[in-house]
Amino acid sequence: MSLEHYIVNSIIELAPVFATFYLVALGHSLFEKAGLLDLAIDGVFFMSSSIAVGVAVASGSPVIGTIVAAISAMLLGAALAFLMTSLPISHGAIGLSMMFLGYGIGIIVGYPARLEVGSIAMYAYGESEAMAIMAVSIAIGVFVHIILKYTKLGAAIRACGENPHAAASLGVNVLLIRLIAGAAGFAIMGAGSSFFTLAWQKFWDPKSYTLGYGWLAFTAALTSGRHPIVLMPISLVFGGLIFYRVKIGVMYGVEKDVANLVPFIAALAAMLIFYSTKLKKALAPPASLGKIYYREERTI
Amino acid sequence: MRFIVVRRTRSHPYIRPLVIVLSLLTGMMLVAILLTLIGAHPLATIVAIAYSFITPQVVKDMVLLTMLGCALLISFKGALWNVGAEGQLYTAIIPIVWITLYVAPWSASSPPYQSILVTLASITAAAIFGAMWGAIAGVLRAYVGIDEVPVTLIMNYIAYYLVNLLILGPFRGRYVYGYIRTDDLPDAYKLNINVVMQRTGNAFIDGFLEFIRVIVYYAYWVLAAILVALLTWIVFNHTSIGLKIKILGSNPEFLKAVGVDVRRTIVMALTLSGLLVGIASATYYLGDLTRLTYPIQAQTAGYGYLAILVAWLSMLELQLIPISAYIVSSLRNAGRNMQIFGLGGLESTLILLGSILLTYSTLRFLTEYEVRVVK
Repeated sequence: MSLEHYIVNSIIELAPVFATFYLVALGHSLFEKAGLLDLAIDGVFFMSSSIAVGVAVASGSPVIGTIVAAISAMLLGAALAFLMTSLPISHGAIGLSMMFLGYGIGIIVGYPARLEVGSIAMYAYGESEAMAIMAVSIAIGVFVHIILKYTKLGAAIRACGENPHAAASLGVNVLLIRLIAGAAGFAIMGAGSSFFTLAWQKFWDPKSYTLGYGWLAFTAALTSGRHPIVLMPISLVFGGLIFYRVKIGVMYGVEKDVANLVPFIAALAAMLIFYSTKLKKALAPPASLGKIYYREERTI
Repeated sequence: MRFIVVRRTRSHPYIRPLVIVLSLLTGMMLVAILLTLIGAHPLATIVAIAYSFITPQVVKDMVLLTMLGCALLISFKGALWNVGAEGQLYTAIIPIVWITLYVAPWSASSPPYQSILVTLASITAAAIFGAMWGAIAGVLRAYVGIDEVPVTLIMNYIAYYLVNLLILGPFRGRYVYGYIRTDDLPDAYKLNINVVMQRTGNAFIDGFLEFIRVIVYYAYWVLAAILVALLTWIVFNHTSIGLKIKILGSNPEFLKAVGVDVRRTIVMALTLSGLLVGIASATYYLGDLTRLTYPIQAQTAGYGYLAILVAWLSMLELQLIPISAYIVSSLRNAGRNMQIFGLGGLESTLILLGSILLTYSTLRFLTEYEVRVVK
């Protein structure tokens, strides 16, 4: 095989993995840019990937699966943004609760589809669509970057993340902005999660909620400072570590569990590097991330 | 007409139990609705959940979750969200397996006092391992500034795979009939008291006797839970570190202003939390689990995660931990009962936990705030 073929094959192999990690981390970043802490990520990841399977099998189309997964996640994101902004409640507690709920709903939605068809391979995306998925993911990332950096909406989202009280006094409707960021962020997460089952794995297993890939996407977003462009290479590294861990394990005769350990150790190391270097200042998290937004008298 | 949220000037006497009861009812209703949508009878679901509150199986989970709930309370009081009890639980088992199966294996010629010494050594080593695992998150939070939530969560997965490696390698059993697991814990090291109860034929009396039998069977656990709760009470009421942890949770700036080493307090809180998880872990392994089976992430009962629910439902009040543990244990049993009654499986437990936690987390603000309707 020539070098060109090898590179092209590797890109095609990695495309769905990259799209999954990148979009999930990107959606999560957009949500958090508005100051909303997202600890629901792993549950939403599993739930959306299961909804995608259920709908793809029922409709016969992976595209419809992806769209419905994105819409379901979008509704959830808007609901979470509403609760976290309009009531003085803990973002962390709400997120972790949603994580459990997401696992449970994911099993309920995914299981009947698996019982019905056994293999979901014929309802999944084909190899020829892998590059398109990757291109769309990158385009979404660039679009989100432009919105965040160069538009009024982006400035409002960032202001809500840095200081929602100041933003409100400057005339920003904090609830509306957070609803938009929450809905859009989760919709992107939902679409990305659908690629996990429909483009990358091409199978669904109820136990896959124990994989913790949502948390790896969480770490990717954290170490890239929630920056859509910086997130691209980091998602590629995390995706590559996950995807090639078994191959590397086989090549070097390493146990499967050592290979499984590597991405999580890498996640810890990445966080350590990010927080102990100047990167922490350069890519600092929103100052009001996870803080309760409460004015002494609040209309709901 | 509009709704406004205002801070309460006086705390409402019944609001805390009301929020807990409302959360439980909402969670049960949500599960009943979801299971009805997939064909289960709603009344059967409610009966299965209600039945779980009076089954003897609840005792074991309640005692273990009381210990783990106390452990998490130590860090939660300091606003340090240690969600890594699951990982601490399994790393703390590592030295126990090593001591009981390799350092001091039981044989017919072993002196009787060996079982006491090995049990004590196992509990101590588990506590140390749990503390060390918790301290890692503490150091990273205190000295590097990494949020403890993702760290403790990621460390849960690291713990799973580390334990898996040990089961596949040095801890792989010799008498396991082809299974990939560790050898069984020798009977001499098991922390149980077996009693046989004569059945009377009366369902009520037999049910009561079964409760007694289970409590006696787990008597060592009950003692350990009392010890852990007592230690937690002493930490918060009679030690300076307990006071510092409480202030860390409510007013960390004050702590800095009076010259307290906040970093050290953070490390201590997470270390103490891990230490108590280690003690709980030792009782769990020596009294119930007795061996590790590969892969651990597929075998775990998820007590480390359930303990988060226990600590939260208690509203971080030590005296409410056993009640909260009883409720969560019953709900866990409800998931199992629903499986037995053919009303769903793991998903029921997860939805039940998630919806109760979600309602509780949402309604909890009512303990400090009130909603008023104004024109």
